[in-house]
Amino acid sequence: MRERLLRPIFFVPALVLLAAFVVYPVVNTVWLSFLSPKGDFVALDNYAEVLSQPEMVDPRGFQRGFPYGALIHNFMWLIIHLPLTVHLGLALAVVLRGVRGGSVIKSIVFLGMVTPMIVGGIILRFMFDGSIGIVPGIVRLLGGTPHTLTAYPETALLSLILGSLWLWVPFGMVLYSAGLETIPSEVYEAAMIDGASPLSMFFRITFPLLKPITEVVVTMTFLWDLKIFDVVYAATMGGPGGASNVLALQMYFYAFREFNPNSAAVVACVLMLLTTLVAAPMMIRSAREAR
Amino acid sequence: MFKRILLVACVVFLIATCAALAADTKTLTCIGPWSGAEMEAFVPVLQAFEKETGIKVEYRIYRGEDLSAQLPAQFSAKTTPGDVIFMWAWFIAKQGEAGHALDLTGLVKDADYLPGALDSLKVGGKLYGIAYTGKVKPGFWYRKSFFQKHGLTPPTTWEEFVALLDKIAKIPGIKAPIVSGDGVGWPLSDVTEHFIATFGGPQLHKELTAGKIAWTDPVVKGIFEGRLVPLLKAKRFSEPIEWTQALELWWQGDYGLYFMGSWITGMVKDPSDLGVFSLPGARGIVFGADYAFVPKYTKHPEEAKKLIQFLATKGQEVQVTKGGHIATYAKVPLDAYPPVDRGVAELLTGRVALSDMDDTIGGEWQPAFWDQLKLLWVKPDRYVEVLETLEKKAP
Repeated sequence: MRERLLRPIFFVPALVLLAAFVVYPVVNTVWLSFLSPKGDFVALDNYAEVLSQPEMVDPRGFQRGFPYGALIHNFMWLIIHLPLTVHLGLALAVVLRGVRGGSVIKSIVFLGMVTPMIVGGIILRFMFDGSIGIVPGIVRLLGGTPHTLTAYPETALLSLILGSLWLWVPFGMVLYSAGLETIPSEVYEAAMIDGASPLSMFFRITFPLLKPITEVVVTMTFLWDLKIFDVVYAATMGGPGGASNVLALQMYFYAFREFNPNSAAVVACVLMLLTTLVAAPMMIRSAREAR
Repeated sequence: MFKRILLVACVVFLIATCAALAADTKTLTCIGPWSGAEMEAFVPVLQAFEKETGIKVEYRIYRGEDLSAQLPAQFSAKTTPGDVIFMWAWFIAKQGEAGHALDLTGLVKDADYLPGALDSLKVGGKLYGIAYTGKVKPGFWYRKSFFQKHGLTPPTTWEEFVALLDKIAKIPGIKAPIVSGDGVGWPLSDVTEHFIATFGGPQLHKELTAGKIAWTDPVVKGIFEGRLVPLLKAKRFSEPIEWTQALELWWQGDYGLYFMGSWITGMVKDPSDLGVFSLPGARGIVFGADYAFVPKYTKHPEEAKKLIQFLATKGQEVQVTKGGHIATYAKVPLDAYPPVDRGVAELLTGRVALSDMDDTIGGEWQPAFWDQLKLLWVKPDRYVEVLETLEKKAP
């Protein structure tokens, strides 16, 4: 009886902290998004105003090219960066598993993951620099004319997306490597006795058994792509002409350049909604498994 | 036993006294944007203050872009990362208006400064900041030895300017006649402002800054269409390159000209090899001062006021001796300047000193201006769209 009474008390410190540092800011941000700068309740006017801005969605982009607006750019991150991250992470984990010195190579690959993203952004900026960058350097070696790829609207976003693979692929590689260790070797031995080819073993054993890991990698990468900020901030500041702008950076511009917390709150809420939609299935599944 | 106790008591007393003295030593934090060679030229100013007053000063580097994000949050929490902070004039005025900056009225006299130097720091008749030294953005810098080697001369007409660029473009090994410095985008804005002040006149520059004329106005459009865009299309400007890197590339001869502020004289190996010319017909030149203020939340307001007063007056004299800076404090003697800076100051003779447009307007327009010019530099055909965006973002 005493234990039953005491149990909730132990939750109190955590609940207080959550309420102060998570619940209150979230509720306040949502509330701010419905207020005018003067503090009047304006319902969804802020949402209509912000979402109709070319900084968020620019339909002219579909005729003349970049920029398309931060929302579309974030979707481009998802479409390109997400599958590449998942597949490269899995490929590296599988290939390096049986290779001699694979753990050393994995450690080197993992350096991208431990590099602070803001530093990664600065490195990316110089990586694509026409004069000293490694990528234009390769172009020069191949006889082409090197350009600063982050300076052109057509290539800025793509450069950041592809360039940032080394920052995030290690995450998938490490999770998949850990996942591979959990698959019993007997399963592979049985398959070999049955005459299964390496390819069919991968698609019929490895990949299905790594499904829970894939779910985590996909979800986390999805969230990473949605909240991407520091890499873009340091490498291009969303430019040129907004060609590499993303939602989190636009939120920063609203908050700290326009000093407009209401518009910034709208972008924050849009981001929160999108991340919740993605994270919810994983959370529901985890809750079910816990039960 | 008694001796031991006495010894321990003495040691404890000594430590306590030292700790108390250390706690009593006030150290001010001064935040500025300068690093590398620029910081080396600024630190002696702080050292001169320390020598004069005995107050210690710690220097920290923060870019204006980062401070604009950090300071509002810090001020809302009634705290500050620095006692004296260098920041944009519009930002200081805004913080003064919001009650986050100390009122410095009476600390310095208007009459002791270049005309209008303190105007942008005043709100409702109160002064919230001081003007430090300034930099002139006079035009295109060249190496005299480079011009001599290739038989080039500074132009006196627009046609000569275009012909000069053509000649430089044909020199073997030259990547582009003019190197375009890029940082967050401000070097490109300096070039653009120079074109506006030259071909639209100082009045147009002032009216655009004040928001009295639209960026889509035919006069403005004409300057872009007739002067800047053709040069960009003809690849007379390089693609944007990080500005310190651009400086090295230009100095080693990859490019012929570099549009930069007067601080360049303190950044090159041989300032005596520097030459500069404005666009032919320029009647106005941008003079951009650095500004500082004291946040209301400083723990040492009196000491901070002493430092900011020193920076606004005697400190300027120390700074200009290091090169690359022009004083806003009129009492700085001319012989304090290195010879090359006296030459820069001469360029101002007979021309209108204009305030830096993007630093004056500030807010969301400033990064939009920088970013749109980055687009213009690589996509000059989209100049109409650029001007429309600038007009839309204008306050």
